[in-house]
Amino acid sequence: MHIRNFSIIAHIDHGKSTLADRLLQATKAVTERESRDQLLDSMDLERERGITIKASAVTVHHTYNGEDYELNFIDTPGHVDFTYEVSRALTACEGALLVVDSTQGVEAQTLANAYLAIENNLDLIPVVNKIDLPSADPDKVAMEIEQLIGLPAEDCINCSAKTGEGIIELLDLICSRLPEPEPAKIKQTRALIFDSHYDEYRGVVVYFRIFDGSLKKGDRILMMGTGRTFTITELGRYTPTPTPTQEIGTSQVGYMVAAIKTLEDVRVGDTITLDTDPAGEPLSGYEEPKQMVFCDFYPASSDTGSKKTEFETLREAVEKLRLNDSSFTFEAQHSEALGFGFRCGFLGLLHMEIVQERLEREGGAEIIQTAPTVNYRIELTDDTTIDIHNPADLPDPTLIKHICEPIVRVEIICPDENIGDLMRLCETRRGIFKGQKFVSAGRQMLDYELPLAEIIYDFYDKLKSITRGYGTMDYEIIEFRADKLVKVGILVNGDPVEALSMICHRDKAVARTRIILLKLRKQIDRHQFEIALQAAIGGKIIARETVKSVRKNVTAKCYGGDITRKRKLLEKQKKGKRRMKAIGNVHIPQEAFLSILEQGD
Amino acid sequence: MPFVEKTPDTTSNPLTQFINNLGASQGRNTINAEDCLAQASEVSGLYIHIPFCFHKCHYCDFYSIVGDENQQTKFVERLVSEFAAVAPYITQPIETIFIGGGTPTLIEQNLLSKMLGAIATHFTLAQDYEWTIEANPETLTPDVSTRLAEGGINRVSIGAQSFDIDCLKTLERWHTPGSVAKSMQHVRNAGIENVNLDLIFGIPNQTMEVFRNDIKQTVDLSPEHISAYALTYEPNTPLYVREQRGDLQKIDEDLESRMFQETMTILEAHGYEQYEISNYAKPNRSCKHNLMYWNNKSWWPCGPAAAGHISGRRWRNVPKLSQYLTGFGLPSIEDVETLSENGQAGEALMLGLRLRDGIQSDRVDQLLQVKGGQWRRKVIEEHIQQGNLDFASSLRLTSKGLMVADSIIGDLLMDETSMVDTTMQDPNAKK
Ligand SMILES: Nc1nc2c(ncn2[C@@H]2O[C@H](COP(=O)(O)OP(=O)(O)OP(=O)(O)O)[C@@H](O)[C@H]2O)c(=O)[nH]1
Ligand code: SF4
Ligand SMILES: [Mg+2]
Repeated sequence: MHIRNFSIIAHIDHGKSTLADRLLQATKAVTERESRDQLLDSMDLERERGITIKASAVTVHHTYNGEDYELNFIDTPGHVDFTYEVSRALTACEGALLVVDSTQGVEAQTLANAYLAIENNLDLIPVVNKIDLPSADPDKVAMEIEQLIGLPAEDCINCSAKTGEGIIELLDLICSRLPEPEPAKIKQTRALIFDSHYDEYRGVVVYFRIFDGSLKKGDRILMMGTGRTFTITELGRYTPTPTPTQEIGTSQVGYMVAAIKTLEDVRVGDTITLDTDPAGEPLSGYEEPKQMVFCDFYPASSDTGSKKTEFETLREAVEKLRLNDSSFTFEAQHSEALGFGFRCGFLGLLHMEIVQERLEREGGAEIIQTAPTVNYRIELTDDTTIDIHNPADLPDPTLIKHICEPIVRVEIICPDENIGDLMRLCETRRGIFKGQKFVSAGRQMLDYELPLAEIIYDFYDKLKSITRGYGTMDYEIIEFRADKLVKVGILVNGDPVEALSMICHRDKAVARTRIILLKLRKQIDRHQFEIALQAAIGGKIIARETVKSVRKNVTAKCYGGDITRKRKLLEKQKKGKRRMKAIGNVHIPQEAFLSILEQGD
Repeated sequence: MPFVEKTPDTTSNPLTQFINNLGASQGRNTINAEDCLAQASEVSGLYIHIPFCFHKCHYCDFYSIVGDENQQTKFVERLVSEFAAVAPYITQPIETIFIGGGTPTLIEQNLLSKMLGAIATHFTLAQDYEWTIEANPETLTPDVSTRLAEGGINRVSIGAQSFDIDCLKTLERWHTPGSVAKSMQHVRNAGIENVNLDLIFGIPNQTMEVFRNDIKQTVDLSPEHISAYALTYEPNTPLYVREQRGDLQKIDEDLESRMFQETMTILEAHGYEQYEISNYAKPNRSCKHNLMYWNNKSWWPCGPAAAGHISGRRWRNVPKLSQYLTGFGLPSIEDVETLSENGQAGEALMLGLRLRDGIQSDRVDQLLQVKGGQWRRKVIEEHIQQGNLDFASSLRLTSKGLMVADSIIGDLLMDETSMVDTTMQDPNAKK
């Protein structure tokens, strides 16, 4: 029997999951009747948004030249935030189908994912998809693939994941062109964990690819990285329904259940070996995905009375979700203004959005979310470094040598006519121009280095609006870089308000804080005295606004019928004031903190 | 009599409202108008509400209906039956009557006379009674004015609001600036010598110049009394909605406060004494009826939506004309609230401080001694220190405190630390 292990990779929406559906059907893994669109996207959120969030691996069989081929393939997500899912999937494979939409052409994530595959020494089959559509231009797209990725245009295979055209040819090509997995190098068992998920009934389900030896039900296994041992209680393959088997051999892909209670107990990238006859060296694993975007979640409740239980709901939701998604981090956080909540770290903005949605939907928590920030690396005068993601954690300025921020390499593919506007956008975001490339007639690729902090707000939205939806981008963190970054403090009548402090670029500090002070001025009610709102860097004031004192606060009329209503109104105002945060003798409403922490300017 | 007191929190509860609306015959579970009547011997004032208007002004949240003249006959008959039910319980002579609305003078002349006659027959008036009726300028014809005077009315309050066409338009007031002078003339000719003019300032787009002219025109007519109010945006009024939608803009707070200052200065110069935050009068022409409110005295309400008060209990007649018309005698009441002694003290301070003379010091001492109310002494001291209050023979707002009266009153209503509840079970319930 032959084995072919491959991933399906592409830019978002170019048709990976639909192609996977066709592969399942053409290999009779599912009948026409069982089939539904994007069958491998099982999460509610995946089905609703029509995107893949988690990679999933299935095993099917295909007969080629009269011989049986076992095909193990993994459908992957296309969005940048989930690149780590793609790179894990790739390490379990020898080949990949690079799907490109023939009506769109090569896009930013097409490139990013293709490079990832090439770096992993995978053989690529370029698949030009959606040729059933009238606007399809497979030849042009094949040329783009040749130009940008270096895969010969004539190697492309055209197909339609919708109609099924070209699918059998593709299956044959997978068998003929992708390499047979290498035979085992050592006699001991070694399997790479490339994914895991949490199942309420069975505990953690581990996905693995065996490189050497084999695994049997009942085997006592050792996780080489963590040193923990478990006994395999169930072993199986997805065909695509989970199908238990007794044994899985070299080069094959499968899942196991082994009474593992939480995702913390397994490390994706770890090597599984047999406890009775362990391998000497583990396989090379992965780097843990790094959280790059941070924000706070607080329970959304204006009523102080029930705040505690709302926090409990949020905590339970966070802990539960963490069982399913080990790529976001959380730590308890207390804000003077918003009470108890969590500071969470995400792989990117979509990841953040998805976590928030899952917390609300699956955990029943109502959430207030603060604006996203990035991770800063602080170089100290004693030559050590610390990472912080909360300006309040900045050490004393005298101890700081440099504040460094994450820099990303951004590739943008866009229509020619938008180049000028996009370059201007990148300039205002402190971008460094790195290059410009011809993609095909009418399209170009821009290459920039940008601070991550500058693109997490609304960069993507701006890109989309400038290019009327045609532009795409991909980014990759390349390094931490020192810049003129400063901590800006906000003072209310001279008292610093830590919850409002932020780290930003010196040259942008004045403009940013002016906006913040204006927002704050609108939200704070006039008091009986004048209130000075100031922004300061160190001891130096860089912006100032004033909340004028009340000139007049007196109800004009109060006759017989008004008395009760008026009394209640004044009492209500009084109660409202109590819920506000007092900074010195200034009362600041919660909403003021929120409007500042909220996204956007 | 056993009953369940209605606390402020349940006033919006449809069930409690329903129970209250059941009225007198179902009084077992609630306080009804008859319960209030038991204390009517304390009353020496009457407020009578006439819920008809010619057209609804855009800032108005009074209960009034643009009606149907046919309803008037029925209404007056109904009202008279209410007078008949109430009058026997009011044992003191009536010192003040205020007929408000709505637009009372909109009522057809014969009916108007009938109504005034019924009041005079059913109730006993004190020697030096004050009897006011509210009127819109365009309704005060010579005939109507004569009817009013003949009926016993000795004070007319005219809603002038502004003498500027644009301002009147913004307020959706349907009278011409010139009609104010004319109506005043008719009233005076009829022999009514005590006249009030209502003015509104802070109208969107109103400039200081326009407002100065408004005051000047008012003063030129030399009414005995002037009420000048800053425009308020009451929820559920078209004006409020227009403002929320952004169709019109509130005037600048600083400008508004300058208009207030200007009012005080000019009126004082013309011999009007500011005796309450928004009220100014020539010597001895303060409105006795309104003083009764601010002195926290007891009065009886008649007509739909009219609010009453007797010794710490407040209520109002159900504001629903159709329901009112189908009844007889005492109407159904709602929003009943009985304040604790401490709550009453808070209200007494809230009301009394609106008066420029403030509250007599011995009365203040009484109020500060009530159970659970001692904390107020500290608040008062703080405000004295800040220059907002003055405490000699009486406790009063300084001119600085006057501008921010609501903040000061708010501090006196509720204890910041304990947030005392001002309501409680009716003391009579325990008897
Ligand atoms: N007409 C046509 N539509 C296709 C074809 N392949 C996919 N689509 C449609 O393209 C859209 C995106 O398809 P998906 O399979 O979800 O794309 P994907 O690459 O898995 O997307 P992500 O998982 O979000 O990265 C869906 O509406 C599909 O129905 C094709 O060959 N022809
Ligand atoms: S006339 Fe008076 S009661 Fe009638 S709508 Fe106008 S302001 Fe309101
Ligand atoms: Mg997909």
